[in-house]
Amino acid sequence: MKKAIIIIVAVVAVIAIWAVSGYNGLVSSEENVKSAWSQVENVYQRRLDLIPNLVATVKGYAQHESETLEGVVAARSKATQITVDPDQLTEESIAAFQEAQGEIGAALGRLLAISENYPDLKANQNFSELQAELAGTENRIATERRKYNETAKAYNTMVRRFPRNILASMFGFGQKGYFEADENASAAPKVEF
Amino acid sequence: MRNRILKYAAAAAILCLYAIQSAAIPAKPYPPKLVNDFAGLLDTRQRIVLEQMLDAFSDSTSNQIAIVTVNDLEGYSPAEYGTEIGLQWQVGSSKFDNGIVVLVKPKTADSPGQVNISIGYGLEGAIPDSYAKRIIDNEMIPEFMQGDYYTGISNACTVLMKLASGEISEYEGGKSSSGILILLPFLLIFIIAIIAGAGRRGGGNGGGGKFESDGGDFLRGLIIGSILSNTDRHSGDFGGGGFSGGFGGGFGGFGGGSFGGGGASGSW
Repeated sequence: MKKAIIIIVAVVAVIAIWAVSGYNGLVSSEENVKSAWSQVENVYQRRLDLIPNLVATVKGYAQHESETLEGVVAARSKATQITVDPDQLTEESIAAFQEAQGEIGAALGRLLAISENYPDLKANQNFSELQAELAGTENRIATERRKYNETAKAYNTMVRRFPRNILASMFGFGQKGYFEADENASAAPKVEF
Repeated sequence: MRNRILKYAAAAAILCLYAIQSAAIPAKPYPPKLVNDFAGLLDTRQRIVLEQMLDAFSDSTSNQIAIVTVNDLEGYSPAEYGTEIGLQWQVGSSKFDNGIVVLVKPKTADSPGQVNISIGYGLEGAIPDSYAKRIIDNEMIPEFMQGDYYTGISNACTVLMKLASGEISEYEGGKSSSGILILLPFLLIFIIAIIAGAGRRGGGNGGGGKFESDGGDFLRGLIIGSILSNTDRHSGDFGGGGFSGGFGGGFGGFGGGSFGGGGASGSW
């Protein structure tokens, strides 16, 4: 009888230790995903911050391209409204975020395309600097998105694997969404010179 | 059932593709070195000079500049390729993320030349993208167009080192021509001095001989210095790289730095 109690206590203790370490593993993995996401938001924000300056510079040389310029401004203000709660990194919320940001990318692509027609603009020091920053920012976005996807993948694998998936469903660790490869990658701004 | 097999096949194909893709980035060099001339654009002497310059810089400031030349970017954009190398090799120290990757793909008959400078997280403030772009446009591409890869890479590294170490905080670029103008008087004096020296040597003075022996001492010093610094290196605490190789003065290894995609690229 006593023996049985000891065995039960031992089994419960082992399970408890496993559960604690498993739970902590999930928590820290989820934190990694969140911090990767905040890096993604940072680099997208960086692009948003470049836009007012870019629009102002182009405006000085190409007034009658107001339609394209307004397109960029509209896409920007639309994208600033779509934010993602780091606790709700679902497939849908990321897709919505990606779509809004993708529109900025497309609008910027059009803006850079028309700037080709204005030699004075292209010779402008400020403009060429903004172009360099924009090109670097696009690469930063690609890099941080890739890093986010890798972190989310590691987390999702952890959540789905037996036996930790039992813990995950008990404590409500849901799966995280991924960034999809851009379908219109060719339409995205090609800012290489 | 059939559907499932198809699914597995697709998954396997994607996995293979992934393996091939990641294999496209050259593996971290062992023994570790900063100058990785896979495309063979530099001769041995140039490689050693660059390696020693960058190794000394890494030792004194912990900033690491890696030079990589490849013949094929394997479908990556230069920025992606450079960033990937920085991430996989972990150029820079883990504490400061202060690595830089200079990537050069030479121009060939059927493909343009491409160059990229990737800046580690920690140096993004010291070297903004626009500076990286200017370095490419002013220091590198004009030299590369004439086929002089060494001068372009070396000049770019000189500016990058000054910016990274904080010796200069701004790089205007386009100064290389005015720089020569400023140097012109000094150059003239130098030339006159050489002519005068030669004249004296002709007159039987021992000055010329002394000059030559100086050169010999310098070379000997360089060799001894590199051997000494090699044994020295083991006691130094450097970056976080665990091993010390015996190559070209013994670069201690990459230190765990990370990259976020900053930098600039150009083509010619």
